[in-house]
Amino acid sequence: MNPEAGEILVVGGGVSGMQASLELAETGHDVMLVERAPYLGGLVSQLDHQFPSNHCGMCRMLPMLHRDSGEQSCLRKGLRHDRIHIRLSTDVTAVEGEPGNFRVSLRKAASCVDPIQCIGCGACVKVCPVETPDDFNAGLSMRKAIFQAAPFNMLNSYRIDPAACTRCGACVSACPTGAIHLTDADRGAFRILVVDDEQIVRDSTAEWLIEEGFAVEKAASGLQALDLLGRSSYHLMLLDIKMPGMDGVEVLKKAKDIAPGITVIMMTAYATVETAIEAMKSGAVEYLIKPFDPEMLLSMADKHYQAFVEAADEKITAGAIVLTGGAALYDPSGDPRNTLEYGVLPQVVTSLEFERMLSPAGPCKGLLLRADGKPVSRIAWIQCVGSRDLQLGADYCSSICCMISIKEALLAREVSGENLRADIFFTDMRVCGKGFHRYKELAESAGHIRFIRGRVHSAIPEAVSGDLQIRYVSLSGIEKEESYDLIVLAIGQRPHPDMPRLAERYGFSLNASGFAESLPFSPSETHRAGIFMAGSFSGLKDIRESVIQASAAAVNASRTMSVLSKSFPQHLDTKDIPPFPDVSREPSRVLAAICSCDAALDVCMDAASVVQRLRQDPAVQDVLFFNHLCAGQDRESLIQEIRQRHPNRLLTASCASCADIFQEVAVAAGMDPRLSVTADIRMPVLCAMSSSKALDTAAKMQQCADLMNSAISEGLVRVKHADAVKPSETAVTARALVAGAGIAGMTAALAIADHGYPVDVVERSDRVGGNLNWIHHTLDGHDVQPYLEEIRQKVESHPRIQVYTRAQVMGVWGEAGHFYTTVAGPDNSVMQFEHGSVILATGGAEASTSLYGHGTNPAVLTQKELETALHSDALASRELSSVVMIQCVGSREAPRNYCSRVCCQTAVKQALALKSQYPDVRIYVLYRDMMLYGFSESAYTRARREGVVFIPYSLDQKPEVVPAETGACVRVFDPVSDRRLEIETDIVVLATGIVPAFTSDDGDIFGVERDPDRFFMEADAKWRPVDAMKTGVFGCGIVNAPLTISETVASAQAAAMRALRILTRTTLASSRITAVVRHSLCSRCQLCIAACPYQARVLDTEADQIRVNAAMCQGCGACASICPNSAAVVEGFSMPQLFEMIDIAVQ
Amino acid sequence: MSLVRKLAIDRQDILGTVQGFLRSILTLEDIAVVLAPRRLAEKSVVMPALITQPDCLSDADPLAPAFFLNAAQMMSRLTRRPSGQKIAVVLRPCEIRAFIELVKFKQGALEDVLIIGLDCLGAYPNTVYRRFAAADPDGSTLRFFFAALSGVSETVEGMELASACRVCEHPFPEGADIAIGFMGISPLDYLLVQGQTPKADAYLAQVKLEPVAIPAGRGDAVASRVSSRVQARDAMISRTHEATGTPEKLAAYLTGCINCYNCRNACPICYCRECVFCTDVFDHEPFQYLQKAGRSGSLKLPADTVLYHLTRLVHMSTSCVGCGQCSNACPNDIPVMELFRATARYSQKAFEYEPGRSVAEPPPMSVFKEHEFADVVGLKGKT
Repeated sequence: MNPEAGEILVVGGGVSGMQASLELAETGHDVMLVERAPYLGGLVSQLDHQFPSNHCGMCRMLPMLHRDSGEQSCLRKGLRHDRIHIRLSTDVTAVEGEPGNFRVSLRKAASCVDPIQCIGCGACVKVCPVETPDDFNAGLSMRKAIFQAAPFNMLNSYRIDPAACTRCGACVSACPTGAIHLTDADRGAFRILVVDDEQIVRDSTAEWLIEEGFAVEKAASGLQALDLLGRSSYHLMLLDIKMPGMDGVEVLKKAKDIAPGITVIMMTAYATVETAIEAMKSGAVEYLIKPFDPEMLLSMADKHYQAFVEAADEKITAGAIVLTGGAALYDPSGDPRNTLEYGVLPQVVTSLEFERMLSPAGPCKGLLLRADGKPVSRIAWIQCVGSRDLQLGADYCSSICCMISIKEALLAREVSGENLRADIFFTDMRVCGKGFHRYKELAESAGHIRFIRGRVHSAIPEAVSGDLQIRYVSLSGIEKEESYDLIVLAIGQRPHPDMPRLAERYGFSLNASGFAESLPFSPSETHRAGIFMAGSFSGLKDIRESVIQASAAAVNASRTMSVLSKSFPQHLDTKDIPPFPDVSREPSRVLAAICSCDAALDVCMDAASVVQRLRQDPAVQDVLFFNHLCAGQDRESLIQEIRQRHPNRLLTASCASCADIFQEVAVAAGMDPRLSVTADIRMPVLCAMSSSKALDTAAKMQQCADLMNSAISEGLVRVKHADAVKPSETAVTARALVAGAGIAGMTAALAIADHGYPVDVVERSDRVGGNLNWIHHTLDGHDVQPYLEEIRQKVESHPRIQVYTRAQVMGVWGEAGHFYTTVAGPDNSVMQFEHGSVILATGGAEASTSLYGHGTNPAVLTQKELETALHSDALASRELSSVVMIQCVGSREAPRNYCSRVCCQTAVKQALALKSQYPDVRIYVLYRDMMLYGFSESAYTRARREGVVFIPYSLDQKPEVVPAETGACVRVFDPVSDRRLEIETDIVVLATGIVPAFTSDDGDIFGVERDPDRFFMEADAKWRPVDAMKTGVFGCGIVNAPLTISETVASAQAAAMRALRILTRTTLASSRITAVVRHSLCSRCQLCIAACPYQARVLDTEADQIRVNAAMCQGCGACASICPNSAAVVEGFSMPQLFEMIDIAVQ
Repeated sequence: MSLVRKLAIDRQDILGTVQGFLRSILTLEDIAVVLAPRRLAEKSVVMPALITQPDCLSDADPLAPAFFLNAAQMMSRLTRRPSGQKIAVVLRPCEIRAFIELVKFKQGALEDVLIIGLDCLGAYPNTVYRRFAAADPDGSTLRFFFAALSGVSETVEGMELASACRVCEHPFPEGADIAIGFMGISPLDYLLVQGQTPKADAYLAQVKLEPVAIPAGRGDAVASRVSSRVQARDAMISRTHEATGTPEKLAAYLTGCINCYNCRNACPICYCRECVFCTDVFDHEPFQYLQKAGRSGSLKLPADTVLYHLTRLVHMSTSCVGCGQCSNACPNDIPVMELFRATARYSQKAFEYEPGRSVAEPPPMSVFKEHEFADVVGLKGKT
């Protein structure tokens, strides 16, 4: 990348921010990831489980190729990547400039706890007298003013909440390692020296400043002041001019010699103002005329404090910015109606509070107890709290609450057992994402969740039991009652309160609801060039959508850099490791270097037993202790020791985060870094210290010592058996294949080609554009044709894009980074290519149907046919008086048991279009659930206002269409009026949904599986939504899942981003931990091939050997565990190693 | 079920008739060789032999109660890679099942093989057989045949059959292409020849045999033999569980083990080219032995004997066909077969897996199901 363009700034460290950062880092950009909270993960860190697996899968975001560039560990503990610089507890305070050169200031909030010194013993928490609600547990439990911000985040664990802390200092004296510095907080970090010979002035001035939180010291004379200045540092000095002995001006001159950076304000009586002005020449900045009032003093002090803070801000330059600031959740206690008495009745909780109740790390340790201690056995979820509520000004759907409630209901049954009753009260279950409908059906059938259509209007507690009696109105208007132990409010989204300020700071615009507004057709682009966005910033999104949009934002940010710098990212070379002496035949000689982390670990390390344990093993040559091994003198002396003592392996015991440094140390000392192992002795200490077992300090210290000993012994075993195997590499062909030239294929091709890589686009039909060719405008009113034309022209004129129409991909053979592809062109021509990555964007089409008389009754059209008719003369000559639309035709039931996501939006769009064309037309929409998620809800509202009639039907009472003389007659049961209706209509419009253009042959050609609904099967529905299980193949657009146009664009850009992660490298190197085959032992039984979930193993029949594609191998060890004689082994996990580790563990 | 044919007994010579049948198979055009148990020069030894000369079949003795090794291993050697020739092979039911397991492990192939199986009356342990056959090797086979066929006891002439055979519930060659039956009929008149696969039917069409109906008595004979074996098996399994149910009991059970690895060499399923116990994995450092001894006060040598058997149980018990060659091979009379069958009973049941039943059933460890054994893997209650 062009260093002048600087790095890319990602603001917000939730799922979207992490994903965008990882994408950019993995394509060679340096990323500054800024997060306001003291931990990463955002909202998701408060949710333990996610559908559809009902597990956590956050770690699946981590790189699968080139895994060694970052830590492969639980993301709840933290993220580490060579190219991602993380700033936690940090805010962006200023942004100026333009794409390629944004100048950004970052301000870090003081934590008051030194993370190096803190060993996590929690002694501070015990003595802290302040209790305050714990935000992480949504306020359901209390915490101290000094606390761990997130339960899993192991590093930087303790911090002080400045708002709650009383500065009593109890924690400071309780801390065994001196890690707490209260003065670091806010104004306490601003040190002021008040110099005046008059005690009364001196004291009152100091007192006023101290009251405002400044750190103040006093000096009664010039000499005393100079003495203090020599001993410690101050930021501001208030200096009296007229003092006996040395006067102020003289003190000023000398002070400037001792502390040149100090800011000095002269205090003067009116008579000596001249002198004060004179003093300014000697370096004073201002003067105060005595007598002065506190306001004057304080505003002056504050001004300099602000300057001090700003000066301490980190200043960076960023070429592009990705905003992933997330959204806020609705607080129901703010609703003046609050009929469900949230905040009053403890039995009424929000969905976020409920997530915390479910969590084993939450306030009731995952046991689902009510605030009064009663075990919960009946729960009602109430949907749309704060959403779809015009009275609250929320004319939108929050998109994700339906699925959250279903998941919570299933988890609740998991926690509390099968007798738990879980009822969901809803208006429409908006299960319109990929696989959502099946998940809901499973919840209903296997999970016994009850779905009740109805609006709950009140909840009344029963006096004795505390149970809640709720009243609701069913669809047919009948009022019903049910009793529950707990009510969960499915709270919706709100824009973050800071949004207006952020919009101003970054220069993006807000939509009518106060969320960030994107460009039409490109959800990750803001109106300001160079600034992109992802995730819930533009409205609440689930993980899958957030991940897709984050990748899309990343590719756009990266593209900005590429286009600006005009030097396209050069292929990143993997770290070249110089040759080292081959020590594989030598017996291991280990040098063990143990670090005490600036003496922090001395309190719990038993050095004598460490030495004794290590010395038992003849492989240990030396054991050395250091105080601060990762830097400075100690680091240098370790290098010297290695050079003098000639070990052939290096064991360091320290923080895990220092592992990289010791690899560098090894290289500097002439050792192969692969023969250096770091044993993490901080984590065991943190674990032992934070364990809930009631142990006294001595016992805890002993436990620490034991755990550290084990960790060091395990490290010894690992390093002793370490092999310096050079990772194998696959050369990357820097060219991409895109199958399909619809909007998805074209968008993906442009994103890749704009990065400088050639792209071949293969299109089956004779024209590009796919479905966009017949769509005229979107629900939002944007014209599709000009957009299509713009993209088409860009693609056709792009020097790096070659489009092949009337062509078809016939074969994709090979592996990530290097595929051999065969394309059949028109007239039996065959073309051969080599590609590094492959994107599948073959799209889909409206499903055909013969239901409701389609094909025989001319009055029955599909939505696509209506769209075509509306924009041709076919309907113009007709007078329409009535239109019936039937949703979910052949959808959401076997065999096409999925929701096509776009049909309800299309129906509303067409209804509104018909209404404007034929104002008197009567329109009836027969639906099962109206899937107007997100801001499209407002169009639904508009349609109802304009008189479109929406009639729900259920599967067991489907509408009937009978031909009539003109048009048709539709019979349907209307549950609202509780009777059957007969509607005479001119036309009937069927929403038949989307079917993917993806046959099982296509699946075989691309090495991709199909999901149960015959769409592209992704590697992980949430965390890797556009990746195929086969590395190097990606799927986007509606071949992957039904999507709107702008969602398709985002998914195509995401697929391009993923493809670029391969194309930007010259080689794909395997990681240190990959599986290898010991051919002499191998019996070719091929069990490992069947066991490998990544298709990384094949039988090479010519060589009669099992081959492992090292780049595709993820080191999971499935092969090693199925192989009976260890012919399949994973580097770093050899059997002798594991045996010895087990010995250590059971010792 | 395809046609059942009648192999008429020639001059009351059952063995000669079987030999004659094998001869007619060997003389078929595309069969190059017959692998069958053959009485060797040392007359009290019967070993598998590759026979290409029809004359040599007059020493073939598939009915001898001798089971010196499980010939599935030999079949693996003969079929691991294509030889271009077709082999007819006479195997015991447990050998067939073992061979099918080996085929699943890609250690052999069925394509060029015609498997001929006979009803199995069991066999003696090797040492016992040599005593049994010593006096009259040539006559011993039919003496055993009639005694074992009529009797219900698993003891013939005062000598006990191998423990594995006494608890074998699979005495019929279900997986054979051609099954030759004699239980429950009158074997002095004829034997039943049944093609069990389309391949077999093609060959049998060339051998001229009369069709016959399966006699009514055969079903009962089969059922009663299996049910008494199942009883014996279950009793054996509960005895073995009692004897090995705790780590201490298991260690005691295996005390006699000297790590000779005979059981592993004799096991038809253990297919590793080089056993992990013979690799550097178990090449411990001297100080490690001393460290271990120091930790517990005493260390039995050779070490790793329990681990060795546990490892083999993990690797092989799902595929164990219960042929008993492990016990047959043990120099210290450790009841290895009993331990394996007792373990296999549960490991096979857990996966609803029956080794050797069908080549189409993948070995359970090669199949990954996400929601399997939720209570074992800690996913209890997850959907």
